[in-house]
Amino acid sequence: MKRKSSYAKYGYIFSIPFFIAWLVFMLYPICYTLLIGFTDLKGVGNTNFNILWDDLFKNYKFVLSTPSFKTALVNTVIIWLCNFVPQIILALLLTAWFTDKRCTIKGQGFFKVIFYMPNIITAATVAILFNQFFAYPKGVVNDIMVGLGIFKDNVNMLNNGTVARGIIVFIQTWMWYGYTSIVMISGVLGISPELFEAAEVDGANRWQTFFRITIPCIKTVLLFTLVTSMIGGLQMFDIPKLFLDGGPDNATITTSVFIYNQAFAGSYFYNRASAASVIMFIIISILSIIMFYMLRDKDEVALRKLIRQQEKAYKRKQKGL
Amino acid sequence: MAMKNDDSFNRAKGISLKVEDRDANKSDVALKVVIYIICIFLTLLSILPFWIMFVNATRSTTQIQGTAVSLIPSTYLMNNFKILTSKSFNPFRGFLNSLIISSCSTVLAVYFSSLTAYAQVVYEWKLRNAFFSFIMAVMMIPTQISMIGFFQMVYKMGLTNNYLLLILPSIQAPQMVFFMRQYLQPALPLEIVQSARIDGAKEFFIFNRIVLPIMKPAIATQAIFSFVGSWNNLFTPMILLSKTDLYTMPIMVSLLRGDIYRTEFGSIYLGLTLTVLPLIIVYIFLSKYIIAGVALGSVKG
Amino acid sequence: MKKFLACAVSVAMVASTLVACNNTPASSSETAVDPVDPASSEEVVTPAAGEGGVINVYAFTDEVPNMIAKYVADHPDFPYEINSTITATDGGGYQEKLDLALTAGGADAPDIYAAEAAFVLKYAQGDMAQYAAPYEDLGIDVAGETAAAAIADYTIDIGTNPDGKLVGLGYQATGGAFIYRRSVAQATWGTDDPATVKEKIGGGSGSWDQFWKAADELKAKGYGIVSGDGDMWHAIENSSDSGWIVDGKLNIDPKREAFLDVSKKLMDNGYHNDTTDWGEAWFADMKGEGAKEVLGFFGPAWLINYTIAPNCGGAAVGEGTYGDWAVTESPIGFFWGGTWVLASKNATADPAKAAAVKDIIEWITLDCTETGLQYAWANGTMSDAGTKDCVASGTVMEISNGEIDFLGGQNMFDVFVPANANAKGDNLTQYDETINGYWREQVRLFAAGEKDRDAAIADFKQQVADNLDVIVE
Repeated sequence: MKRKSSYAKYGYIFSIPFFIAWLVFMLYPICYTLLIGFTDLKGVGNTNFNILWDDLFKNYKFVLSTPSFKTALVNTVIIWLCNFVPQIILALLLTAWFTDKRCTIKGQGFFKVIFYMPNIITAATVAILFNQFFAYPKGVVNDIMVGLGIFKDNVNMLNNGTVARGIIVFIQTWMWYGYTSIVMISGVLGISPELFEAAEVDGANRWQTFFRITIPCIKTVLLFTLVTSMIGGLQMFDIPKLFLDGGPDNATITTSVFIYNQAFAGSYFYNRASAASVIMFIIISILSIIMFYMLRDKDEVALRKLIRQQEKAYKRKQKGL
Repeated sequence: MAMKNDDSFNRAKGISLKVEDRDANKSDVALKVVIYIICIFLTLLSILPFWIMFVNATRSTTQIQGTAVSLIPSTYLMNNFKILTSKSFNPFRGFLNSLIISSCSTVLAVYFSSLTAYAQVVYEWKLRNAFFSFIMAVMMIPTQISMIGFFQMVYKMGLTNNYLLLILPSIQAPQMVFFMRQYLQPALPLEIVQSARIDGAKEFFIFNRIVLPIMKPAIATQAIFSFVGSWNNLFTPMILLSKTDLYTMPIMVSLLRGDIYRTEFGSIYLGLTLTVLPLIIVYIFLSKYIIAGVALGSVKG
Repeated sequence: MKKFLACAVSVAMVASTLVACNNTPASSSETAVDPVDPASSEEVVTPAAGEGGVINVYAFTDEVPNMIAKYVADHPDFPYEINSTITATDGGGYQEKLDLALTAGGADAPDIYAAEAAFVLKYAQGDMAQYAAPYEDLGIDVAGETAAAAIADYTIDIGTNPDGKLVGLGYQATGGAFIYRRSVAQATWGTDDPATVKEKIGGGSGSWDQFWKAADELKAKGYGIVSGDGDMWHAIENSSDSGWIVDGKLNIDPKREAFLDVSKKLMDNGYHNDTTDWGEAWFADMKGEGAKEVLGFFGPAWLINYTIAPNCGGAAVGEGTYGDWAVTESPIGFFWGGTWVLASKNATADPAKAAAVKDIIEWITLDCTETGLQYAWANGTMSDAGTKDCVASGTVMEISNGEIDFLGGQNMFDVFVPANANAKGDNLTQYDETINGYWREQVRLFAAGEKDRDAAIADFKQQVADNLDVIVE
């Protein structure tokens, strides 16, 4: 016990750089954001603002009652879920295949490099590219569809909200499945090879190895994937903004696009944008806490509890002395 | 943590009694075929946009405006390069600037995130859980809005045109800390740390010389993501830099796009290609750590 | 050994990047004009007269900086150093940066800045107007010089701040006309003469009635009249009697509302190829390779030079549609695009600097001599690859020759000079870019049959109410 506490100070020392950097660079912006959510600050170049003492939550009420924000929230969740599920399935499959010691895939190094590539191109380029694929009345997809006889005539597919959302879902999946796979594979690489060897010696089959060894061992990395993908998904901005700027008819507007449009396009409603940001922060936090709770390591929690009890008992003993 | 591994190990032993099917070979081949088909399909999907980009870099603006997507290269590469360099686009300057910013911030992000995560995993300290919650909270703050305050702060303090403002904030990279923590939790054998202490090693020494090498796959992964993110970052440098000498590659490409009456698409694609090439090289270099896998067990054994 | 090497490499990498880190800020602070004191926004560094200082220029393309570079090259004794900051309009980058720099003030604050038609209202009349210095404060005789240069009214209207003082002028004239294919006109009406085509499409009539008749006649011959509904939008937008906002409330001018029906009519009757501006199919119509050939496009001179000509499929008469074009008056006057040049109040604080800024701005926007910028711009001698373009000063266009081969030798200034006079600059608002985006999206969906007229208008109103500081009733 004593030895442990002498090392505790390193916990603080090693965390100081992060904390200081945060204090210096982020504290002011965040406080500023929090504050202006309660003010009448709008209009570019304007730095004078008054706190809305009469109706402190005016901006919050506005945001929550705006149809665009509701649409944005629904869209964000739909788009996130629809790209997250296939993405994680694909990533798990690839992880299983590429880390299977018994069925080595030749050229897997090449594949791993290639699959991450879509993530290297900037979102702006990807958005332009897909816009051109689906262009109307002349574009690659239209040409193919008419050529195959599926469409009778060229169709402006991007006028349809569901299609537009579908394309964004596809782009997001395509851009991020490689990232997710790499994260998971790197988690698997952290597992001691002895475990796999032992499993093999004992005759565990492929699925058993994957579900009984690989998955439990990368559980922590899996939690990382789930949580960060959720946060990233709920803050999705680049592709929805650049592909169709939230259109057609708000069908692809996400909450981050909504926030951006409030703050930078048109009237510069910094106050409403900041209120919307705080609302999103709260939503994301709640969902993350639920996720952490659901995926918490029960053994570890039990262990921690035990240690804490022992510590208390130890202290009590010391006090008693 | 090591205990947990042993635990699943035992579980694995338990199920191992079922003897594997002898027909496995046949299904193995079938599975392999499926895997290869899917992988090749995904490969094509991944390469396609790059190919279109490279091809468009060799085409003239009018060719691109005529048919945006083509798979056959044309002959305007040199012409596009001339336009590119005539439009205050200096690929070498931009490359160097981007390299400085991206590599500095990647090194800082990776090192300090590992350090912070190490503190989370190895040491027992009172505020540990509170600090972790804090890191998670930082990660959840929507970025668009806090940028407003950040830009205003920088401009008010007159610190524009300073690379430090683009580099130093990467010391606090919550997502990376989170990843490193999740990675270390099951992977770091605490006995190594203990035995090093017994040998009289200082804590910083243990971290730098023993733990960091163990984390290679994680570091390589995160370094790639961080480098790519920083390299492609357009908006922040665009707002904070106003001296042409300091412009990064993406800013230069955005300038090509900016011409309102006459957009030179060929040279834009060439600019994009030049921007992405270094990333591919860095990625291939780093990916060897992900592929080969410096597995922890090898250190342990 | 391998491990050692890896360590050494990584140490070297870190070291080299650290060195780079150390170098860069140091060198950048060396080149910085002055270490800026956070609280010094009102204090302006006064350089010894004639000994130079720095004039900061903010622009969204290299166009204005190149002009100023030429000015400095032509005037070797010009005492100031020019520091140009070019930021693309990508993702709102330029405006964001310009706003921050203007608000922050100090030594890096913009002295001269450029604004495009899409957002110039914000800087001349809207939220950021407080930072723009009136031309008269620079020492320019506004009334006299604008009259002498024969600057179009719309340019002046847009560049005039709420106090009625001129703060910005353009160098380009972007009044629009109808740019048509001679061969299509010939095949339909038996002549390609601009005067006859003007009559056929109701040029200058102020209404679209004649235009629709022409559309029918073209349709009978298998032609379209325009490429897409976007081609007509600029003319319709600019012809309305009131802007989107009147007294802080959203106002849908009847002429703009009628764009719904115009777009639907074009679609239902097959008068166009249903293209989107700047899309592949739109460019194809310039080559005459669309689904059906179309008569023409609405646009200013720059559309001819920079858009139609490079996309016509040739570079000399007889190739592609090169030489098969002509311009005639549009049924309704309008303008499209343009760049305005403004000076900041920061520049007027120091008399010496104000005089230098005045010289530059005057040279760009009001100088009617053959050594002025506009003469070079109109005659295409600004750079080697220059093309003839319309300029803000009618006086300059009178002494210049606007004949170009692309238009079959027609002198385009004959049409564009009156077109500039017909353009309106008083029905614009600073939110036009955003509101136009919402409106055109709803019109597109309505014309495509995705929703009915009332729903389109209701959804449009809702979008404005959700996103802008405008009262919607």
